[in-house]
Amino acid sequence: MNPGLLKLAVVGSRSSLGRLAGITAGVAVGVCLLLLLWGGANGLSARDNRGAWLRETGSPAVSVPAASDASVPAASNPAAPPASDPSASQQATPLPLTPDTVLMRANPVEVFRGELINRRDFAALGSTNVRIPGVGRPPAPGRYYASPALQRLIESTPRDQLGDRFGEFAGTIDDAALPGPDSLIVVTGATEAELRQGGTAFLVSGFTTNPYGGSAAAYVTVLLIGAMAVFFPVLLLISIVTGLGAAQRRERFATLRLIGASPQAVSRIAAVETAVPSLLGAALGVVLAALLRPVAAQIPVNGTRMFDADLATGWAAGTAVVGLVVTASAVAAGNRTTREGIGPLGVTRAVHEKTPTPWRMVPLLAGLGAMTAAVVIIRVLEVRVPWLESPLLIGGFMLILVGIVVIGPWLTLCVSRVGLRRARSAAAVIAASRIQRTPVATFRSVSGLVIAVFVVSVFAGGSSIIQTTEAPTARPGLLQPASLHATVGTGQTPDQVTAAASKAAELPGVRSSVVGYGPAALHERDAGPEIYLRAADAPGLGFEDIPGTEVVAVDSAFLRFSTQPLALAPAPAGTLDGLVPVVMVVGTDGTPEAMDRARTTLNRSGVTATPATSPSDIQLQSATRLVQGLAVLAYLGMFVAVAIAGLSLAVATASAVLDRRRVLGLMRLMGMPVSVLRRLITREAAVPLLTVLLLSIGLGFLVAWLMVTGINDAYRVTWPAPDYFIALGLSLLLALGAVIATFGLIRGNTGISATRFE
Amino acid sequence: MKTTSTTSPILSARGLHHSFGPTQALRGIDLDVQAGEVLAVMGPSGSGKSTLLHCLAGVFIPDAGAVTYRPPGRSGLEISALRESKRARLRLTDFGFVFQFGQLLPELSAVDNVSIPLLLAGTRRPEAMRRSSELLERLELDGLGARLPGELSGGQAQRVAVARALVTAPAVLFADEPTGSLDSLASENVLTLMLEFVRETGTTVVMITHDARTAAYADREVIVRDGDIAAGYRVTA
Repeated sequence: MNPGLLKLAVVGSRSSLGRLAGITAGVAVGVCLLLLLWGGANGLSARDNRGAWLRETGSPAVSVPAASDASVPAASNPAAPPASDPSASQQATPLPLTPDTVLMRANPVEVFRGELINRRDFAALGSTNVRIPGVGRPPAPGRYYASPALQRLIESTPRDQLGDRFGEFAGTIDDAALPGPDSLIVVTGATEAELRQGGTAFLVSGFTTNPYGGSAAAYVTVLLIGAMAVFFPVLLLISIVTGLGAAQRRERFATLRLIGASPQAVSRIAAVETAVPSLLGAALGVVLAALLRPVAAQIPVNGTRMFDADLATGWAAGTAVVGLVVTASAVAAGNRTTREGIGPLGVTRAVHEKTPTPWRMVPLLAGLGAMTAAVVIIRVLEVRVPWLESPLLIGGFMLILVGIVVIGPWLTLCVSRVGLRRARSAAAVIAASRIQRTPVATFRSVSGLVIAVFVVSVFAGGSSIIQTTEAPTARPGLLQPASLHATVGTGQTPDQVTAAASKAAELPGVRSSVVGYGPAALHERDAGPEIYLRAADAPGLGFEDIPGTEVVAVDSAFLRFSTQPLALAPAPAGTLDGLVPVVMVVGTDGTPEAMDRARTTLNRSGVTATPATSPSDIQLQSATRLVQGLAVLAYLGMFVAVAIAGLSLAVATASAVLDRRRVLGLMRLMGMPVSVLRRLITREAAVPLLTVLLLSIGLGFLVAWLMVTGINDAYRVTWPAPDYFIALGLSLLLALGAVIATFGLIRGNTGISATRFE
Repeated sequence: MKTTSTTSPILSARGLHHSFGPTQALRGIDLDVQAGEVLAVMGPSGSGKSTLLHCLAGVFIPDAGAVTYRPPGRSGLEISALRESKRARLRLTDFGFVFQFGQLLPELSAVDNVSIPLLLAGTRRPEAMRRSSELLERLELDGLGARLPGELSGGQAQRVAVARALVTAPAVLFADEPTGSLDSLASENVLTLMLEFVRETGTTVVMITHDARTAAYADREVIVRDGDIAAGYRVTA
């Protein structure tokens, strides 16, 4: 290729330089975000892998007689008191510790200031071969290893609120076993007897490296969905920005054809002139990504930041992204030029978009059909077909996502047809006509925003159910939100427990300290269905309607965070004689200090069999917390996606002005006011955006409803959190800002000079 | 050189100077354009004819000198003293424009292209469409109103552009090389139809052309050279 010809084509004028600068900047932003997002996805995976050992559940620490149909001790339900599993205490035989095993108890409710601390208690023989990730040999009883973030917390907090729970500091857990720098993890040493007491310890001989357990596929799918929501606008930005100034280029290429360049030569020039700024932009993007990596690592995702190294993608990934972006943009530019059939007198063939047809509804309807089918199978037919449910739900979701992009141009076309029929002003006629002729290109400029809004609507709808079902309430007959309770271990005397309760009652911020009684410890076979307490203590548990007897009874479901208020009943016996203490309930003023102080005291009292638990803890442990975390991630993703999509919209709008600068200039020359041009540009962006945005929001919540009812028909989708509306409002503001930002271009690029042929 | 005629001028330019950086495009031009006449402005490339047209139409404000517009039945206006918004309004309501290239909005049908100036002037759309269709018919484009510019021949597209320029019944039609991109047959067809119409309606025409055959359709021609009028007028009819 003649270098002179290439130079003439690439940097033939000042406007060419501006266009090249625009492509370079746009590709730089796109590549930078692609690499950061890729790094983010890698980082999420890396930190999950590092934290996989925390998912180790071990094997039962007792053997169960074969005749019994009882299962192993149920430690997996942390919210409930230890199950009243008769086999656990009476029929099961403890399996002895060996050098190849350690006894491990996972405390599911180690909470400080509303943050869950991952606590693992270990008991081991002195000769143990088992090594704990990040720690090595299990700590001796009374000593602990903590993650650096937790140790900082311990050191900055009064010991009676946190440090006393763990014992003596032995060292920090290595970063290689921590999901992130903010992870709160503690590994404590205990005696075998201590861990066996509650029946919730397991034998562990090694630690799993599978970070997701059985939910790996769903977790990865959710991540993929989120990634698509963000990647799509980035790719769109690169696509739009490399098409910048297409009309100007067509003229330049026509000139080259006029002076003898072959169509192939022009296509090659088009490819090279796009590849050069793309390469520059991509290289700049790689540098930008490297510079911004430490900043990006500071963004907390699912409660913790990332290590800088987590976000590194490596040279191979960087080279792949650069190569892919440059090649794709060059090939696209070359093909575009070939398709346009640029001849010596300009574009010889009018390039018309294929008119979108109603067939474009098919993917969307198929997606809705698949999700509805899943819900019908699960909820109406009440048939569990796991191999079919997930593909239907997830496949349906993906089809709907694709379906929105596919149906968008057709809906835009329909709306523009109606708009053209009803148009009364010049701006409306011009805008509707343009949209009608180019619905695909018009919709493309807003599709990034539309997808971002859809995905975040799904997450907002999905996370709204959690708030509805799990928010603890303060009502008589329910365990009070500001209270903590712990079950009492077997063999504890009333005096010991009463003394512990009295000690707790003296703590600052504690309002009541109540001991509940029963025929046997709650995890034993003889534990009755009710808990007995002194009527005088009942107000301390929030009861108002109290029978006139000295001792009253309440169903033990009271401790299981029932959502239905329970009533007190007169106890058959007039006294607590013959009963044993089974539970301690401490009411606080709700301040974090009082809660943490009470929790620390109860767990250190020596009389409790289970960790102290508060009703609000259940929210921290819920499986749906993952969804909440991902909803936060989705909002973050939406912010990025919306920012990029806004940028794309601005570039596309600017491109729409620049590509029509001559004809718009002539319109101005003929007397069309600039204000009409502004209205025209605004309409061209607003019509496709508003047409499909409402559909996106509606579909987002419908999909959320289908998904959550597919999981559990007790869930209801309600109004989303205010964050959602803020994010949505910001999206629209950003779109408006993107369009307004191009207003400056209108006056400058539609002056008389725009009407002249060079 | 001053060129005038005996009847009342609808446009008068006096002492027009205009420069683009170091290049002096107009050097003190005086020119009167009579109401109802067809004036051809000729001259070599770079002589300043387009700049003169843009100054007369209020697109450019001359660096020095004034352009006065005297619409029939109304008092005279000094165009060069008006603000841009007023000049834009004047161009919309009193002037029409035809150019050589790229003047139709490619996404709009022929009839919509023609109706745009009427819509901008506040005419209701049904009325605008009716008047546009009538004018297209008058310019022998009946049946082509629904077509896009890309589906029309060069001559047909140029007649659509003429229709758009005339649809508001302008007092003055400015035409900058209106047939410059057409072959001689199409050129003759466009000019004949356009001039028939303007002579019927008494519209004044200021037409820039390189082509002597095109200029021959005019009532009078002036030649611009080096930013000034180089030759006197000629009455052809």
